[in-house]
Amino acid sequence: MMPHAQKAAIFNKDEARTDWHDASLWMVRKKRDFAVSEIPEWEFLREFASDIKMHTLSKLDDYLEAFEKAAIQNGAIVHWAADAKEHNDIVLSILNKHQAKKMVKSKSMLTEECHLNEFLELHNIEVIDSDLGERIIQMLNEPPSHIVLPAIHLKKEEIGELFHRELHTEKGATDPQYLTEAARHHLREKFHTAQVALTGVNFGIAETGEVVVCTNEGNADMGVHLTPVQIHSMGIEKLIPRRSDLAVFTRLLARSATGQPVTVFTSHHRNPKPAGEMHIILVDNGRTEQLGKPDFRSSLKCIRCGACMNTCPIYRRSGGHSYETTIPGPIGSILTPGVDLKKHGQLPFASTLCGSCTDVCPVKIDIHTQLYKWRQIVSEAGLPEGGNKTMMSIMGNGLASPSFFHRLGNIGRKLLRLFPGKERFLSFTVWTKDRDLPKAPVESFREWYAKQARDAQ
Amino acid sequence: MPSKETILTKIKANRPNLWPLPDVPIFETSATDKKKLFIQILERGGSKVHCIDDSTQIHQVINTHFPEDKRMVSALPFLEGIEGITTLHPDFYEGTEVAIIEGLIGVAENGALWVTENELGNVRVLPFIAQHLVMVISEKNIVGTMHEAYKILGLPTSEGFGVFIAGPSKTADIEQSLVIGAQGARSLLVILIP
Repeated sequence: MMPHAQKAAIFNKDEARTDWHDASLWMVRKKRDFAVSEIPEWEFLREFASDIKMHTLSKLDDYLEAFEKAAIQNGAIVHWAADAKEHNDIVLSILNKHQAKKMVKSKSMLTEECHLNEFLELHNIEVIDSDLGERIIQMLNEPPSHIVLPAIHLKKEEIGELFHRELHTEKGATDPQYLTEAARHHLREKFHTAQVALTGVNFGIAETGEVVVCTNEGNADMGVHLTPVQIHSMGIEKLIPRRSDLAVFTRLLARSATGQPVTVFTSHHRNPKPAGEMHIILVDNGRTEQLGKPDFRSSLKCIRCGACMNTCPIYRRSGGHSYETTIPGPIGSILTPGVDLKKHGQLPFASTLCGSCTDVCPVKIDIHTQLYKWRQIVSEAGLPEGGNKTMMSIMGNGLASPSFFHRLGNIGRKLLRLFPGKERFLSFTVWTKDRDLPKAPVESFREWYAKQARDAQ
Repeated sequence: MPSKETILTKIKANRPNLWPLPDVPIFETSATDKKKLFIQILERGGSKVHCIDDSTQIHQVINTHFPEDKRMVSALPFLEGIEGITTLHPDFYEGTEVAIIEGLIGVAENGALWVTENELGNVRVLPFIAQHLVMVISEKNIVGTMHEAYKILGLPTSEGFGVFIAGPSKTADIEQSLVIGAQGARSLLVILIP
């Protein structure tokens, strides 16, 4: 796997496009700021949300059982999946039971995490992602680059070209209104012909057994209400105890995600429609492992708003695909090292540790602190390879010993005077790639101080 | 071991110490005029709002906004002369130009209207499948915040589906350009009755 820094370097080659990507996301961040400013109790809400989630995690087994009991009473069928494979097998078994060959899906990061589409396609099931952004990237055979704005990396010209090819829109047409209209017609037909609909879940309510899905386009509800069989795939950390807790989370979610006061649709699914079938799949897939890590368990509070991505200077200028994880950006960089340290261990370094992610997080996850803690673990494990390691070890020794530091400083100043400019002798470190070295001072502070002491005598 | 047991056992072993569950207060809006705020937020989100003096004027308002002779479906029991709910088969409602439904609670801070399947004549797809949506709500039922709304809602009783609708369907998935009318209704008209 190519390291994040290399992928980011490739992304940065097109400077205009990088600026455009940066500005698009910063606009979303600014909308968030405005939406937040309308709620005087915002900081209290964050605190409540954080406490509700931490409480739920501390009794997650009890709440899952309560949720299951309520859901079964409502008439839903509840499944438990230890990992992605089991989740996918369950979905396939439901499809097979109904001899279904076509499934419409609304946006679900969990099914991306489980690679459900690829699995079902191997079993000759047609899967139609029905969220516009998801449909676009599905047609392009790409993963989403953002958890809320899956096609944020694409330009309308590229989407116009794609739709011309796939949906026979006019050549050269790039108007978002026109392209959205084309997708609307294309997808309407799919909703009426699919036998099964699958959605993700934003919140599961333990006391009622309801699943709550927050969307803007209306595609999730079109699918669920038009097909006889509905499936809701839900990570076990999505639970909240009480229905009234939704007041806190619906106020936080959309404002943090897109700057809307609330999503257009907040759908509460409790029981199957007449003659319909409703399945809920509770998925672990590594979540219980994360729960066992005291330093990192609070990452499970995440409600997937994407605010940490929109604000992150690294994400904005490197793009979601550079992370090579289902969930990119700051939150992804603390969720995924626990899954595979060797593969994702470099991601905690894809950060300036500026802390902006922590500031905007609606459930108060201390993201940048966890990034820092992951770095310790990664370094202790002897990762990452190469990079700053040589320099780090020289600096480590230098800063630990005053006399060595003194000598190192002398050598450094001499070298700088002999070879001004940057790339002469420091080309082996990435630090000087985009930074000019300062002019070497005539003397060090230590030398200057000693002179002062002498002069004073 | 079945996965349910595996998952629960792992949680028991790995969960943190008991964290207290907070009591969340009912935060109210600071706005003095909830109706005004409700209208303002709805309009900001691309909806239209029409205030009338009594419910007999609903017909007239709808005819003004939708003068063309197209298929209208009403889940309101008192709207005569408009197609009502005749079957529960959802596909039957494809081709509905205008759906007319009642909202039970309006939330001023975000312009969301609560409706359950009871108000939809059990046709859950109705507000999504129609090209345009009309929601009738009494201004007496406008509350300030989501906290107040969920307090009134309490726990679900008979309804198996309920939804807050806060405007016409929309997307910004193409270059962050806002497009009103994504896959659900292309417009939302809220009729406020006393």
